[in-house]
Order: sequence, then C-alpha cells, then structure tokens
Amino acid sequence: MADLLTHVLLAYAGCTILSWHRPIPTHWIAITMVGSILPDLNRITLIVTNRTFEAFLGVPFDIDALSTLGGTVLLAGIGSMVVTNQHRRTFAALLAGALSHHFIDGVKAYADSAAGTWLYPITWARHPTPSLYVSSDPAVLVAAVSITAIVIVTDRYVIQTK
Amino acid sequence: MRLTSRIIIITTLLVALGGVSVHYHTTYDENWPHPTGDQLQEQGTKTFVGERVLLFGEVQTVNPDVITIHITDDSDNVAAELEVTGIEDRVKPGGVVQVYGVLESKTKLHAGRTVVVNRDPSATIYKLGVSVVGLVLAVAYFFRQWQIDFQKLAFKPRTTKHDPEPEEVHNRG
Repeated sequence: MADLLTHVLLAYAGCTILSWHRPIPTHWIAITMVGSILPDLNRITLIVTNRTFEAFLGVPFDIDALSTLGGTVLLAGIGSMVVTNQHRRTFAALLAGALSHHFIDGVKAYADSAAGTWLYPITWARHPTPSLYVSSDPAVLVAAVSITAIVIVTDRYVIQTK
Repeated sequence: MRLTSRIIIITTLLVALGGVSVHYHTTYDENWPHPTGDQLQEQGTKTFVGERVLLFGEVQTVNPDVITIHITDDSDNVAAELEVTGIEDRVKPGGVVQVYGVLESKTKLHAGRTVVVNRDPSATIYKLGVSVVGLVLAVAYFFRQWQIDFQKLAFKPRTTKHDPEPEEVHNRG
C-alpha cells in the first residue's frame, strides 16, 4: 500500500479534477477522501491482532479481507447507512474513494511483477503490475503533494475565475 | 430510512464482512501461488526446494554477498530463516524485503529479483507516521463538511456558504 496521506491527497485531487467537468459539492469530496482510507482499515491489526479476533469469534479470521474489493464494498455499504438520507450517493462516493486506493496500490512493486489479490472475491487472479513504487519511498508522497498542489492552484486561479 | 432499518442493514453487512474475513483466511493459502508463512511453518522449507518462490521477510543480518531473513507466520512466529544471495539493493537489519527466486536448499534462496519494502526500521516509522497524518486529514475534512444529526442519529452535511442547501445543490461555486 502507498501511505494513507498519498491516498487521501490523490482522492481529493481526483475529485477536484472531476468537478471541473461536473461540479461536485465539497461534502461529497470529503466522503470520497474517507473512502480512500477504507482498504487500509486492515491496519487495525497494529492494535488488535487477527489472533485476538479469532479468540473472540472462535473461528479463523483474516482482517486483510478488508483490503480487497469485497471487503471495501461491504465497508462502503456500512458507511452509507450512517448518513441521513443520501445513502446511494454516499455508497458511490465511498466506493469511488476505495477504488482509487485499489488502483494506486495495483501498480506498486512486487518482486514477481504481479499485484496482490485485491480483486477477491471476484477472482484470486493477480494482474500484472508495472511495479512503479514502494510505499516507504518519500518520492511517492512528494509526487502526491505536487499533483495535489498543482490541482488546487489550477482550481482556485484558473477554473474558478472563469 | 428509519433507524431500525439502518441498524438491521448495518448488522447484516457486518455479519457478511465477518463471513468474508473467515472465507478469505481459509482459502488464502490454497490460492496464493507461493508458500505462505503458515505453510512454511507447517511443512518446512524442504517441501519447496527447487521451486521459484516469492517470500516476504525481515532482514536479520547483512553481509556483502548474502543477507539473512526471517519469514513469519500469521502468529508472527518465525517460520523460516533463509540466507538470500543475489540482493542488489541496499538494505539494513530490521528492514523488510520481497525476494523472488529459486529456493536452492532448506536454508538458501537465490533472488532473481528483489524489492526493498522498508530499507530499515525508520522507513516503517515514516510510513506509519505519514499514514496517521492522512487519517487525521481525512477525518478532519469530513467533520468540517458533515455534522451529527442527534435526532436521526446520523451524519448530515453542514450548511456552508459554498453549499447553502447541500441536499439539493449541484454546483460548487
């Protein structure tokens, strides 16, 4: 995975670019940014391990399922139930954010040049990855900050002044 | 949607999420094309000698031509200790690497390709620290745009000068 700040910034930048074609209210951009962190909720294992979940539930358990397509669809569904009346839009915004996360993670480096099994449960197939980055490389964040800064400046001083 | 309906749907989705997590765990090892830490723990490395494998490991020692890595199982117990040759990237003890190559013996692997996931422990700390900043940014921006409706026990968009009537607005400006 890329770091979460990269995912959140690129979700914001992506929404801002899309809003140049069809305006997107800022509260939906906020939901999309939250959606971009959903696949990394499996990092809760830094606090509560899979073994703790297994001891509590009494069955084998792997929280990494949250970082797959199936897991994020269900998380987006849960998220869409905690808003007042805009459930379908919230679901779509959360899922869009999560998909942007999966897309970015789908091009990270694997030594065997195949991405992770994030398409589960549709398929266990691992698509080829161009191995563009490793997440601990600060250059990834520098690129994300630069892209976001350019998008914000363009939005404020070019698009909104038209 | 009524609160009761929302609670029922959330409960159903949480049960489904639990089911997916159980299924993912029970089917992962047979679908991942390389040995997992659990498989190495149960079967030992001997079973996979001669195979081209992808393994993730924490670096223990670094010498000019060879590094030693520990591969752990799901319980974080060491499942295998391997001497890896063919490493071209710089890495330090405490770092994490992916190695893809042929397992030449029970304890030796020649890496055809390597990815340094974390060069040293500080890279892990950097990644976690930056991720916390991202989490805080997303949550803070969310609460700037949304507020809790205590009557409906749900979030609703805040009314701002940019979005005077969020339920109906279609234009940001």
